[in-house]
Amino acid sequence: MQSSVQTKDVSPQPVRRTDSFWIRMVRQRQLILMSFPMVIYVLIFAYVPIWGWLMAFQQYRPGFSILNQKWVGWYQFRFLFEDENFVRVLRNTVAMSLISLVLSFVTAIGLAILLNEIKKTGIKRLIQTISYMPHFLSWVIVTGLVSTALSTEDGIVNVVLMKLHLINEPILWLGEGKYFWGIVGASNVWKEVGWNTIIYLAAIASVDPSLYEAAEIDGAGRYRKIRNVTLPGIKPVIVILLILNIGWMLNGGGFEIQYFLGNGQVVDWSETIDIFVLKYGLKIGNYSLGVAAGIFKTAVSIVLLYAANTIAKRLGEERLI
Amino acid sequence: MGVHARKAAFGLLMLILAISIVASGCSKSGGNEASGEPSASSSSPAASSGGSSDAAKPEPFEISVFMQDPGPIPTDDNRIYKKIKDELGVTLKEEYLVGDAEQKLGVMIAGGDYPDMITANTKLVAAKAVIPLEDLIEQYAPNLKKHYEKVWNQMKDPGDGHIYWLPNYGVYQGEYKTTQYYGPAFFIQKAVLKEFGYPKVRTLDEYFKLIEDYKAKYPEIDGQPTIGFSSLAFDWRDWPLRNAPQHLAGHPNDGGVLVDPNTNVATLYEATDVAKPYYKKLNEENAKGVVDKEAFAQNFDQYLAKIASGRVLGTFDQRWNFQQGEDSLISQGKPERAYVALPLVYDPNTTDYYMDRPVLNLNNGFGITVNAKDPVKIIQFLDTIIQEKWQKLLSWGEEGVDYSVGPNGLYVRTPEQRKQQEDVTWKQANKADALYRFLPKLEGKYPDGNMEGPGNQPDEFFANLKDIDREVLSAYGFKTWTDFFSPPPENRISYPAWSIDLVEGSPAKVANQKLKDLAFKYLPKAILSKPDGFDKVWDEYVQQVGKVDTKAYLDRVNEILKWRQDNWSN
Repeated sequence: MQSSVQTKDVSPQPVRRTDSFWIRMVRQRQLILMSFPMVIYVLIFAYVPIWGWLMAFQQYRPGFSILNQKWVGWYQFRFLFEDENFVRVLRNTVAMSLISLVLSFVTAIGLAILLNEIKKTGIKRLIQTISYMPHFLSWVIVTGLVSTALSTEDGIVNVVLMKLHLINEPILWLGEGKYFWGIVGASNVWKEVGWNTIIYLAAIASVDPSLYEAAEIDGAGRYRKIRNVTLPGIKPVIVILLILNIGWMLNGGGFEIQYFLGNGQVVDWSETIDIFVLKYGLKIGNYSLGVAAGIFKTAVSIVLLYAANTIAKRLGEERLI
Repeated sequence: MGVHARKAAFGLLMLILAISIVASGCSKSGGNEASGEPSASSSSPAASSGGSSDAAKPEPFEISVFMQDPGPIPTDDNRIYKKIKDELGVTLKEEYLVGDAEQKLGVMIAGGDYPDMITANTKLVAAKAVIPLEDLIEQYAPNLKKHYEKVWNQMKDPGDGHIYWLPNYGVYQGEYKTTQYYGPAFFIQKAVLKEFGYPKVRTLDEYFKLIEDYKAKYPEIDGQPTIGFSSLAFDWRDWPLRNAPQHLAGHPNDGGVLVDPNTNVATLYEATDVAKPYYKKLNEENAKGVVDKEAFAQNFDQYLAKIASGRVLGTFDQRWNFQQGEDSLISQGKPERAYVALPLVYDPNTTDYYMDRPVLNLNNGFGITVNAKDPVKIIQFLDTIIQEKWQKLLSWGEEGVDYSVGPNGLYVRTPEQRKQQEDVTWKQANKADALYRFLPKLEGKYPDGNMEGPGNQPDEFFANLKDIDREVLSAYGFKTWTDFFSPPPENRISYPAWSIDLVEGSPAKVANQKLKDLAFKYLPKAILSKPDGFDKVWDEYVQQVGKVDTKAYLDRVNEILKWRQDNWSN
């Protein structure tokens, strides 16, 4: 923040600007030196491997040098985009991402605010711990739990619904495509809500207590304080996280969950880009297709990230870049 | 300074430790090498082609062996090894695997420290650690030559045409016979057969009729609803859903294709009239509530749990796949809920071909390394061992000690002798199981009517069974579980088509994956649809399969079938 204020100050005198840039460089040489390891790390592990994108334009066979391969131009991309399933796969990916994104934001913020209102530290800690425990389970286990709970053979969901007389016979939850997105969203919430809450709780804790006092003196009740103090207080955090998450949009709210819960009967709703690539890329030894899909996802992600960032900027909100 | 000195001392200590470990590892195999040398240098041309024990005084000869297997490690005074030493003069200096095989071989290859004889690994061929055997066998090993004659061309390395390994399983003599069956079949609970007085079941209609009747009579098993027929379509386990039609039509397991045994040409059966009647039948049964609605949405664990609950009356699968669930039934004390495998066919006049003869166990068994001083003697030793007398010693044991000959010439064991065979410590002193596992062996039936081992001898097997099993088999007049099946003919030379490598990333492989995806999507849909909606779903399925590049897939399969026919024939 400070530095940007400084540049604004000096901007009217362009001649001095370069001057000050170099002077500042020298003045901050320790900082710059300290950043070198990180910059080198990013260069080596994030930028150098990009030359592997060459594979996307080849029919890559492992065991041979990357220069000793058959070049196929845009074939892999065409295979990806021209497949009649591609539109469906893309739709599933985006839909499940959106569902997971919205659900996880609403539930995490909601839970954080509720937790914040609990004044007894012991109970608050207990609830928090219990709710973030599932985060440490792997998806293999969680999906196992989910499919057992949803089973038509004494799965708890069907049993409860039957006891409540809401349904007459067990529903085959995992065999009907229309339920699939909802199941994925709900599983995501169950597993991650507690974990996602942590960052909002931290943000709430940093809200200036004097604001609450002032609101109280002005006669604000509990709900009024949530609406007018807490939420505006954590808005910057919400916006930043939203922008970050939008960048991950094409990951479909995870890969494992659709892979483990999906089956032939719901494939029209469950197959995401990653699963498609796994099936027609890695599983059958066409690594180039995986790279092509990776390039596609990266390109879309960058566009989405910038779009979200620009919108946030226009709205005068906190932004990432 | 003090800290530095301590650090240095510690580092030195670690270094010494590391070196000593490496050194001790090296010296061990080096020792093998050295001790093998002197006896090997006495190159006597004792061509014991007959190999019988009456070759006066056999020259002592030592062979060092490495087995990529942890054992069981025989004791020093092992009875079988002693007999080999006394009669053939051969001392086997064995080393067994400790830890990771690939790592051990890596070290071995790096140092060039090979024993004389080693169990197979393709790494060793690539490292040129083993010698070609075909000339040795032709010249010095008439028995081995005879044993492997039929599969000679298959044994050749596809890369350079040499034979490096002597396959340990898959060469049969006489009639092929096993007692247990682990392959594909329609399975039905023993309790169901028992309930209806052990009827003969040949067709799908008879099979499902039994299940329907039993389910109607016992709607609950152990307090939970009875499941008539379950199945599975999960991840790579696709055969419970996809493979049944080829067997119903009387073909062996060729994966996704039917291969005409006369022309050796493959055709697809999925989404054709070969497959339709089966799924149509499942659709009808589903309408009657017999088919498990969850079958195609469940994961493998749920499937196993269902089997283990004892309320699944029938399934189509390969036995090894759900073995865990069945084992659990037995340990729960519910052997009557375990399954009998039935070879159902569409038309009762078709000969069933569910059971097949095992194929040659390529890239397995022993090879001789470049370090062996006298490969001729080693191949002669192996040539002796392949003879009936020695094979029986390795599998059955010694007559009078481990078995006796019954009045009909068949070998039998007394209950005590059978019990001994389950005792691990006894076996270490009296059996050479690990060695036998890797040696070339005679499988099938000996000319005298005995099977290659007690496990496959029908009477011996029958005597070891549980009561319910004996009851089921007796009711049908059978001795073993494989008696339900027609005896398998000789394998087609190009069999099985499922082992064909479709080439990574090729259009054939893409087509294969698409076929699988379509099957997983449409077959459950067709089965679970209302009976009058079946044809609509089926037509859509056929239409979708028509869009797949099946030609690429079939071309590749047929190309390899032809290659095998050309190169594996004699």
